[in-house]
Amino acid sequence: MAVRILLVDDHPIVRQGLRTLLEGRSGWEVVGEAADGLEALDKIESLQPDVVVLDVTMPRMNGLEACRLIQQRQQVSGLEVLFVTQHDSPQMMREALDAGARGYVVKSNAARDLLEAVEAVSQHRMFTALARSAQVSG
Amino acid sequence: MKLRILLADDHEIVRRGLCALLQKHEGWEVCGEACDGREAVEMAKQLKPDVVIVDIGMPNLNGLDTTRQLLQHDPHFKIIVLTITDSDQVIREALDAGARGFVLKSDAARDLVSAVEALQSKRMFFTPRVNDLVLAGFLDKGHAISRNEPPNLPTLTVREREVTQLLAEGKSSKEVASLLNLSTKTVETHRSNIMRKLSLHSIRDLVVYAIKNNIIQIQMPPQMQRPTETTVA
Repeated sequence: MAVRILLVDDHPIVRQGLRTLLEGRSGWEVVGEAADGLEALDKIESLQPDVVVLDVTMPRMNGLEACRLIQQRQQVSGLEVLFVTQHDSPQMMREALDAGARGYVVKSNAARDLLEAVEAVSQHRMFTALARSAQVSG
Repeated sequence: MKLRILLADDHEIVRRGLCALLQKHEGWEVCGEACDGREAVEMAKQLKPDVVIVDIGMPNLNGLDTTRQLLQHDPHFKIIVLTITDSDQVIREALDAGARGFVLKSDAARDLVSAVEALQSKRMFFTPRVNDLVLAGFLDKGHAISRNEPPNLPTLTVREREVTQLLAEGKSSKEVASLLNLSTKTVETHRSNIMRKLSLHSIRDLVVYAIKNNIIQIQMPPQMQRPTETTVA
């Protein structure tokens, strides 16, 4: 299934790493990148992705705020948000889900969880995985 | 012959990004990847890379102590430290530990290739802010500190610093013993010595100490950082 992905992280190196993982999957396309929440909102409008892979901690506008605005604005029908973050915290994950995200994975395990997470959220299924517990819910 | 680079960062995503960046450069090869400082030291001893790129905030053995241990083993190692912060203290510790390059992670895509090229030509490379400190005489020989002696922890041995990090990361004495190939009793002795030398009374005190002295790093949630400018349409 074709999935159009927008990568949002303030570190270009992290975006590059995410890209190398995602572009290995046939039919998936990284359609653009953004370095903060504000830029992400602009690019969602122009690029019409299916999934936004979103960091939490970013300058100008953090990922939680961006996610809330994405939900409010509903610029793209069916758009889902997947957080990929350093915050290995149940509290942060709850905040992310309350902000409207469909998925939450931790950067330290992104190489293990990311592909499955993108697949799940692109099909509107929830996917969450913290590093501190081995449990994965999806 | 290709320039051989060893990467040490606990996040595979970051290592992938760094690999993709570095391997575009003809003549360079990533000869190994380590996910913590301890693994980095072992791999460097075996692989003898030309350049080692080390993240500061790694579990088990942080980047600064990795740098010290690598240079203790072989002073010819050329090491670039990657960090999310350019605080004065971190810069000073990285330079005193013997790093020849200092790059902010946020600028790695822009600066890392230049940093490796500099080290390849036997020059040093630092982000502009660090250059300012150097020009201001920070490395004046009058203030030089031994590479093997962390400036803020003059009373802790190398082994005690290792134990401090592992305990502050939440590991039990038994787990620390297993990681360091020591007996639990020896770890308990190190723990007592550390607490006594630093006048600490609890593991919580130890954690605070480790954070303040960059032995471990924590990620603050966005609400605890400085307010960022936001615009709502």
